[in-house]
Amino acid sequence: MAAGNVKVSVEALQEHRIQEVGLDGEEKYVQQLSMSENLTRLAHKIDFYKDETEGKGKPASEGEKEPAEEKQLAAFQPSLWPWDSVRNHLKASLTEMSVLLDVLNLVKEKQYLVADPVSQDPIETKPAIQLLAKKKSLSAASTVLTSGAERLKRSLADANKKNATDFHAELLRLRKQWRLKKVSTNIVGDLTYKSVGSRFWQGGSFEVRKSSEVDRVDAEGEGSKSMVEVTVPSELEGVAYIQVEVKTVPDMMDLTSCTLKMPPGLSSVPENAYWQSKLDAAQNVLFCKELFAQLAREAVQVKSATPHMVVSNQIITNVFPGHQLSIVLCHYTGKEKKSGEQQQVPVTAQKLEHNHVLEHSLHQLLHEVHHSNVSLNPPHPVNATLGMTKRRRLAGPECLTRQELVEMTENESLLSQIIKQTKHGVLRIRSMHVIDNMAINIQDPQITAHWGCLNSPLESSVRIFITSAGYESISTLSRTSLVLLIGVDTIRVVMKDGRTCLLSFEDKELQDLLAWQIAQHHTSVVQQIARYQGWQILSANSSIGSGDMEPFATASAITIASPKGDKIISFRSGPTSGQQLKVKTLDPTADSHPSPAVTDRSWFEHGGSFKEVNLEKLEGRNLASKIDMLMAHLSTT
Amino acid sequence: MESSGTSFNAAMRSVAPHQEFLLQGSILDAHCEVLLHRLRGLCDNADCNPEQFSDYEAVYQLKNNLSTQQSQYILFRIRQALDHADAPWHIRYLGQAEVGDKNRHTLVRACYDVACSSNVREFLNELGFKLDHEYVARGYFFHKGRMKVTVSKIYRLLQPGKTDQNTLEPMTQSHIVELSVVAPLGQDSIGDDMRNFAEQLKPLVLLEKFDHRRLP
Repeated sequence: MAAGNVKVSVEALQEHRIQEVGLDGEEKYVQQLSMSENLTRLAHKIDFYKDETEGKGKPASEGEKEPAEEKQLAAFQPSLWPWDSVRNHLKASLTEMSVLLDVLNLVKEKQYLVADPVSQDPIETKPAIQLLAKKKSLSAASTVLTSGAERLKRSLADANKKNATDFHAELLRLRKQWRLKKVSTNIVGDLTYKSVGSRFWQGGSFEVRKSSEVDRVDAEGEGSKSMVEVTVPSELEGVAYIQVEVKTVPDMMDLTSCTLKMPPGLSSVPENAYWQSKLDAAQNVLFCKELFAQLAREAVQVKSATPHMVVSNQIITNVFPGHQLSIVLCHYTGKEKKSGEQQQVPVTAQKLEHNHVLEHSLHQLLHEVHHSNVSLNPPHPVNATLGMTKRRRLAGPECLTRQELVEMTENESLLSQIIKQTKHGVLRIRSMHVIDNMAINIQDPQITAHWGCLNSPLESSVRIFITSAGYESISTLSRTSLVLLIGVDTIRVVMKDGRTCLLSFEDKELQDLLAWQIAQHHTSVVQQIARYQGWQILSANSSIGSGDMEPFATASAITIASPKGDKIISFRSGPTSGQQLKVKTLDPTADSHPSPAVTDRSWFEHGGSFKEVNLEKLEGRNLASKIDMLMAHLSTT
Repeated sequence: MESSGTSFNAAMRSVAPHQEFLLQGSILDAHCEVLLHRLRGLCDNADCNPEQFSDYEAVYQLKNNLSTQQSQYILFRIRQALDHADAPWHIRYLGQAEVGDKNRHTLVRACYDVACSSNVREFLNELGFKLDHEYVARGYFFHKGRMKVTVSKIYRLLQPGKTDQNTLEPMTQSHIVELSVVAPLGQDSIGDDMRNFAEQLKPLVLLEKFDHRRLP
């Protein structure tokens, strides 16, 4: 019956699960899930992995919900069993793999799904546009190529024009000859001799730079202008050399009155010269300066027998009385002011006397000093101290005395060495003059001098032969020979018989010696002739004590008798007294006092007196031939 | 360490001051040529051929009875040049090196080297020294200023006493390079010069100071 006002109540079915029934009949229901708990339970059923792969376009709100749900899920998880996450992961990967497999199968089978490339629209071939595009690109490429070719052509033309004077090529050539170093942005070179052992205080560093355009344009047409410019330090500019001269000042023997010379005008190095000549000149200047500085220092400091005088750029010293050695450092920089007041030097350069030998010796000596500074004697064995000479190393084991050690350390100074060489040179020249003059002036006998070809700067030797013309080959005994050993200060003479004597530097002594030897020679020639003629030598004395005393040396004499015994010749020869010949004819009648006591005949044959013979009136080319003729005549009559 | 040895050293130092600064390194035989070429350019006398040497060295030791001595033995080294028969024998004493000083780039030790007569071996035997070991060193010698550089190969003597070429056996396949300066006391700037020189040889050979006590 549909009556109104029937209350119909709807209520949810109580579908609670009974957990347990108590003993008193009370039913205990399972705890009902709250709304949020219900929601989480439902959410738990959702497969979130699937959602994530497909859900890129999902609205943001749902995405936000997910982390919240995940958080709750994370909070939920510890209540579940521990392998849950593993199971989830595996499930997810399984799903993914199966999906992949399905997709691949689908694609392969081509029944449900066909994968086709996207068809593109066909290209419109508009030749006009293509042509334009090609033209443009080609023109761009051609401009690049032509610009490159232009550059190459230009550089080639430049190189041909300038004869390979590229800056770097020049620099390379410079580097081959000189030491260069790069200091910040500049290139600096070293001119000094420091690397070979010089200890000179003056530095020599030159600067290298590229020559500017202006310089090149102004260059004269002598040679191609190089791209490299060098600037040498100002104190080494110009040209310098050391001039050594030995002059005789016969009347002025003191140093204070010697004349000082001004260096003459030289040709200096022109400004635009090639760098090699500039650097060479600068290095030479440095070398000459060092040499002169060393000599000047020694001249002032070293105590020697003769005083030396050092005046600005000259060193003057007496080597022998009357001979002066002057060493001048001439440095011409080309910048001297021509002041008219005290210019005494004439415009034409004075003729300079260069002693080239001594100058060369000086250069060599300084090079020696440099060399000895660097090259040390290597020690054997190698552990020994560096820098000792071999003799010094043996000083210990061989017990050298202190005197010997001191002698070893004494070094000779440059100046004394050059003075010695000068002295020897002067002495040798003077001796040569003496011998040559005598050879020219004295015709009989003949003097020949053979100079030794091997000699040192400090010693020379000469062998002098005195022979009579026409009688040289009889035997070597008729030839007088002596050897002169010319040293620094003295001459040592070795005579034929082995006697030696020492002469000083005076040339008069040498002259006297030679005159004496000539006198001796005459006597020995007469002796020789007598032997060949068969005359008997009664007495021969090389230094007789009778007669006038000679101012120097001694006279020699010989007395010979003819084969028949009736003629006696007495010959005396002295350096200043000359040659004297006396002949005696034996006259048995004179001076005979017969007496019965004296019976030997020879006692009766002493009569007669000596008569002097005028040698000049005798016939014969020289003394030897004259006496030869005389003897022959006397022995036949 | 106060001991008679060091006081003896101190006394000797005041009489004949000699300190050796040493840097050592080694280079394999295959690359030795390059090193020689480099040294020839760096050192003095570049225009001459490098000097060769061949030395025989014998080390004699004497047991030291003093308990407070730094080392157990006193070592004396006898050295003779084999290629120069007229060069004298040398006897050498090397002191203990001072290590641990970081400012010093080189090994510094006292060094006394004197030339002696040829009967030094009998003399040492009489004194009680015993021959410890001997070897032959052959190589090249360079110098720059007062720095000595030697590149040498050490040979073992197969028969004791015989130093002919066929009785020698090289000990290693390398050359030992030594840079040394012997100078009086007090000149410590030498160490810097040596280090700068060693820098020039850097990639070829590393010259450094070795503590000889720590070697195995």
